[in-house]
Amino acid sequence: MAKRVLSFVVNGRLREEAVGDSTLLLDLLREQLGLTGTKRGCDGGECGACTVIVDGRPQLSCLTLAARCDGAHVETVEALAAGGRMSALQAAFHEKLGTQCGFCTPGMIMAAEALLRGNPAPDEATIREALGGNLCRCTGYVKIIEAVQAAAAAGGGR
Amino acid sequence: MERLPAFELKRPTSLAQAIEWLAATPEARAIAGGTDLVPNLRDGIGAPPVLVDLSRVPGFDAYEIRTAGARIGAGVTLARLASDAGVAAALPAVSAAAASIAGPGHRSVATVGGNLCVDTRCVYYNQSEWWRKSNGYCLKHLGDTCHVAPTGTRCHAAYQGDLAPALIACGASVELAGPRGTRTIALEDLYRDDGLAHLALEPGELVVAVAVPAQPRGAMSAYRKARARGAIDFPLAGVAVRLAVDDGRIAAIDVALTGTNSRPFRLAGTAAWVGRAVDDGLLAELGKAVQKQVSPMRTTVTQSNWRRQVASVEAQRLVRDLAKVAS
Amino acid sequence: MNPEAKRLPPAKSVGVRQPLVDGVEKVTGAARYTADLAPRGALVGAILRSPVAHARIRGVDTSRARAMPGVRAVVTGEDCAIPYGVIPIAQNEFPLARDRVRYCGEPLAAVAADDAATAQAALAAIELDLEPLPAYFDAKSARAEGAVQLHEGKPGNLERAVEQTFGDVDGGFAKADLVREHAFHYAEVNHAMMEPNAAVAHWDAERGRLTLHSVTQVPYYVHLALARCLQLDESAIRVVKPFVGGGFGHRTETLNFEVIAGLLARAAGGTVRLELSREETFLTHRGRPETDVRMKIGLTKTGAITAIEAEVVQRGGAYAGYGLVTILYAGALLHAIYRVPASRYHGFRVYSNTPPNGAMRGHGSVDVRHAFETMLDTMAGELGLDPFAVRRANLIDAPHRTINDLQVNSCGLGECLDIVERRSGWRERRGKLPRGRGLGMACSHYVSGSAKPVHWTGEPHAVINLKLDFDGGITVLTGASDIGQGSSTLISQAVAEVLRLPMSRLTVFANDSVVTPKDNGSYSSRVSFMVGNAAIRAADEMKRVLVAAAARRLEVSPDDVEWNGEHCRVAGTDRELGYRDVVTEALRDAGTITVKGTWSTPPETQGGSFRGAAVGTSAGFSYAAEVVEVEVDEDTGMVRVVQVWVAHDCGRAINPLAVEGQVQGSVWMGMGQALCEETQYLDGLHVRANLLDYRMPTIVESPPIDTSIVEAPDPNGPFGAKEAGEGSLSAFLPALTNAIADAIGLRLDELPASPDRVLEAIVARRRAERVRRTAKAAAQEAD
Repeated sequence: MAKRVLSFVVNGRLREEAVGDSTLLLDLLREQLGLTGTKRGCDGGECGACTVIVDGRPQLSCLTLAARCDGAHVETVEALAAGGRMSALQAAFHEKLGTQCGFCTPGMIMAAEALLRGNPAPDEATIREALGGNLCRCTGYVKIIEAVQAAAAAGGGR
Repeated sequence: MERLPAFELKRPTSLAQAIEWLAATPEARAIAGGTDLVPNLRDGIGAPPVLVDLSRVPGFDAYEIRTAGARIGAGVTLARLASDAGVAAALPAVSAAAASIAGPGHRSVATVGGNLCVDTRCVYYNQSEWWRKSNGYCLKHLGDTCHVAPTGTRCHAAYQGDLAPALIACGASVELAGPRGTRTIALEDLYRDDGLAHLALEPGELVVAVAVPAQPRGAMSAYRKARARGAIDFPLAGVAVRLAVDDGRIAAIDVALTGTNSRPFRLAGTAAWVGRAVDDGLLAELGKAVQKQVSPMRTTVTQSNWRRQVASVEAQRLVRDLAKVAS
Repeated sequence: MNPEAKRLPPAKSVGVRQPLVDGVEKVTGAARYTADLAPRGALVGAILRSPVAHARIRGVDTSRARAMPGVRAVVTGEDCAIPYGVIPIAQNEFPLARDRVRYCGEPLAAVAADDAATAQAALAAIELDLEPLPAYFDAKSARAEGAVQLHEGKPGNLERAVEQTFGDVDGGFAKADLVREHAFHYAEVNHAMMEPNAAVAHWDAERGRLTLHSVTQVPYYVHLALARCLQLDESAIRVVKPFVGGGFGHRTETLNFEVIAGLLARAAGGTVRLELSREETFLTHRGRPETDVRMKIGLTKTGAITAIEAEVVQRGGAYAGYGLVTILYAGALLHAIYRVPASRYHGFRVYSNTPPNGAMRGHGSVDVRHAFETMLDTMAGELGLDPFAVRRANLIDAPHRTINDLQVNSCGLGECLDIVERRSGWRERRGKLPRGRGLGMACSHYVSGSAKPVHWTGEPHAVINLKLDFDGGITVLTGASDIGQGSSTLISQAVAEVLRLPMSRLTVFANDSVVTPKDNGSYSSRVSFMVGNAAIRAADEMKRVLVAAAARRLEVSPDDVEWNGEHCRVAGTDRELGYRDVVTEALRDAGTITVKGTWSTPPETQGGSFRGAAVGTSAGFSYAAEVVEVEVDEDTGMVRVVQVWVAHDCGRAINPLAVEGQVQGSVWMGMGQALCEETQYLDGLHVRANLLDYRMPTIVESPPIDTSIVEAPDPNGPFGAKEAGEGSLSAFLPALTNAIADAIGLRLDELPASPDRVLEAIVARRRAERVRRTAKAAAQEAD
């Protein structure tokens, strides 16, 4: 398989990685970089569990060719906790029980993070819209919405 | 974990280079957002030796909205289109259609060109390689029977893009570029009613931009899609309407549909309604016209008759609602 | 600073809204699930699945695959001749099909290779010689005369037929003022937990030992099946359950891929990662079966039930699994929610050429509850009674023994009814909403663990170990599988409460068979109740040891020690001792302390002596009442759930935060089944084995769920607690269809209420009305 050296910033750290042209960002993160916080929940683009932030936008890493991320800034759930302390959003998901089994959580949090960066005080409809591509099977979404609202009230994702 | 067949990714930095690479390898595919292509590749539908990445083609994502009309580059993302106040004001149907597509993680990378060229879909086609092989493949890919209508000779896979009907209703044309130069055609002419080859693109040809003329005075537009859930889903039926009402009478009406046929299409016969009031009689005629012209087949897990009914209902509602706003 | 100088008050843990003890890992991405654990260089496993629904296997030629470079192992049905299955008397499934395949997607062979591409290429090189047999995709054709038997000794493809009569049924119906009978049909649904199936198996060839990490809810059952199928001594196996991304019953029995991973690892002599696709995860299935229910109910004028009769037919799929339990549950749980003086039940569990069904949240009770509650609603209307009044007319007064020998020791259903009636504004709003809007209500219940375990060993039903060491930290060792429901948190709370220590003194270590005590697993809502009780007993024992140590040090009798967690004192004096000093005293001479707590269900809760009596028994029943408000679009058939009000009696909310989460998740999962979720097969091929066509609701259309907790303490429950994770699921379905009936006067007898089904029913009704009007007009003309 054709490979190329990819130079990109992952969670604030400049990396150079040899990747195959047909390697997905999801697999690069999980297999090559050991960033297993990003999850595979479906066979492609249907569940949102693999959502990461690329150049500030929420993106499905399971549909993203890694080779196209050359020069990009990629952020995964592992980037949010600073100095080992949860971000406001993570703390809200934890304290409000926005997470149960936790499998959709990284993608859900990254989608919510992308929302709050652009819109620090979203109304409920906007939250629902922003998380529309992220399926959760445990919570019925009730406490997820509460968590995002609490994080927004506490000063957003940052 | 290799989830995709091996291919070479070409990253052209000019349109000419992109077209050249596409033309050089007949099996090559263009990739923009990849949200439609990559799932299909993961399902083993096609194994193109080359993917030509359009993201570095200069100007591909340019757009302008002016009173004289709009020009939207094929590389403009759906997220950008959906959040643009100018588009929302001038072309509300287009704005609504863009906002209704899939989820935010798709829309942030999926493009106008990609959505216009989205592959047709079918329950016998959008399955894994194991599934399709177990079922003897189908006419659209590797097989010789359309399981939707086994006695027929054509593929009935449905076109389920959302932008096309909105843009068709607003009178859009598309700029195409290929090895033989550039051309501009009406958007509805980009499509053929054949699930197997629904795009009237020549080999190596690309959608470069969409041009939308200035909208008629007083014209309003809207888009509605029928689907089972509030997000993610493709339209089971989608309707776009552009309506201009003058002194209580229809001055112009355009209706376009998606999700029900192998192509998005403009509803025929609407010109006859110009000069009439939007009343129950007209709405009933509209409803009947839609029922007659759509031809949903068993390509989705939702019954085809429902898609027919709902296309008709939503068309009537849109026209009624727009007329109400106009008065 | 001496922390004890702070004089912490005794800690309170039960009843506290406690975030999950493993929540930080989940929100930071540090939590490791099975697919996150494969070491670099692990071989990649892949499974070859049957392309046909029913066939005799004439040959599986793997020679080309075996010869391929990079292929390290190939296994087929030849490699395991011992069937497994969760019910010891119904083991008829092989990890890889032998002699016959019975559903599309059944594993036929598996490979382990250096990489995924090689594994896929190897699968493609395996040649199958299959002789097709007639296949049956519904219960009716499978039961038809002359149908080929899927399994020997099962004529009519009946896995299990149940006939149960309690009380004077005919007399009951004769006494009734109103008797109605109606038939219902329910589509099959799937758990669709977010984490796809995965296993990592490591074979230690030198020692002949197998280690398996898997996504299971029941590591102990997986352990047993591995030993059985691989013919290994149980002590040569280690099963670890890491973080698990949900289960909802999918993972309450050993699944074929877990055994296949073990077979591959042994054959390859190394480590194999086997990660299934979402499609393969759907094909592994074990979901709630397609079900037909015929229900007959007799009521008096005041709404009291006089008798019921139900016939239930379940299309069970190709193998036994939990099948006989499911069909027994459907009959047993007609009871224990209302007073029922007489009942007759006919259950038929049918084999079919579809993926095997199994246990799914609300196991066995969901579809029959819909039929039951729908008919109560209709009949209430006919009797001129409010739907709430009919339920109240049949409430159980605990303690109560049902006619099928279920022991109800607590029941808060009446309070649940009061709450949702009030909070939904039922009395003010019902019947006054505009057309297209409606309110519906219903009730449901569930067991808090089966009082008799599936696997009878004579051991206690639950065991907890506590280890106290020099650092003063207490490690809670449990085999209970936390799959997101929060059991590890609940167990910690129980221990902390008894010891009056802060949760920070505790660490839970769970689910590693070489360390933690055996546990039957997380299913039938058994963990809070059973393991919670064991945790209390273990903590009691630890407290006894600590109090004794404190007494020694203070030179008083243990009875004189007032235990306050971080410190204790001689009662009535100010002579105190800090916790760390107590620990030092306790460990003096004794060293590290390990104590144990066990619990088993009281015999009187273990049911009667008739055949099948064990199923449905429980030491405690939970109850729920729900009101659903809907908006129905009569032109499109689209149903929007505007709001849900639910009240759930969980006995005692040990963790109210988690109870709310469980109840909301249950209600919402019920909504998925009621509105839009279903599997579908075309000639046996699953056409919805993905998350686009298996339409679980998104956040956009999911309603607010107003959640109330009712606490009717159960005398057997830990701190009075009962289950919270299943009981409120079933009520949603009938509450929804009752609300649709209220909105547009239409009764749906088929679920899900997908827009195409609803519109079809509306159109059919219009047509029928037209015919009636025409006939009436014609009759008038004739007059």
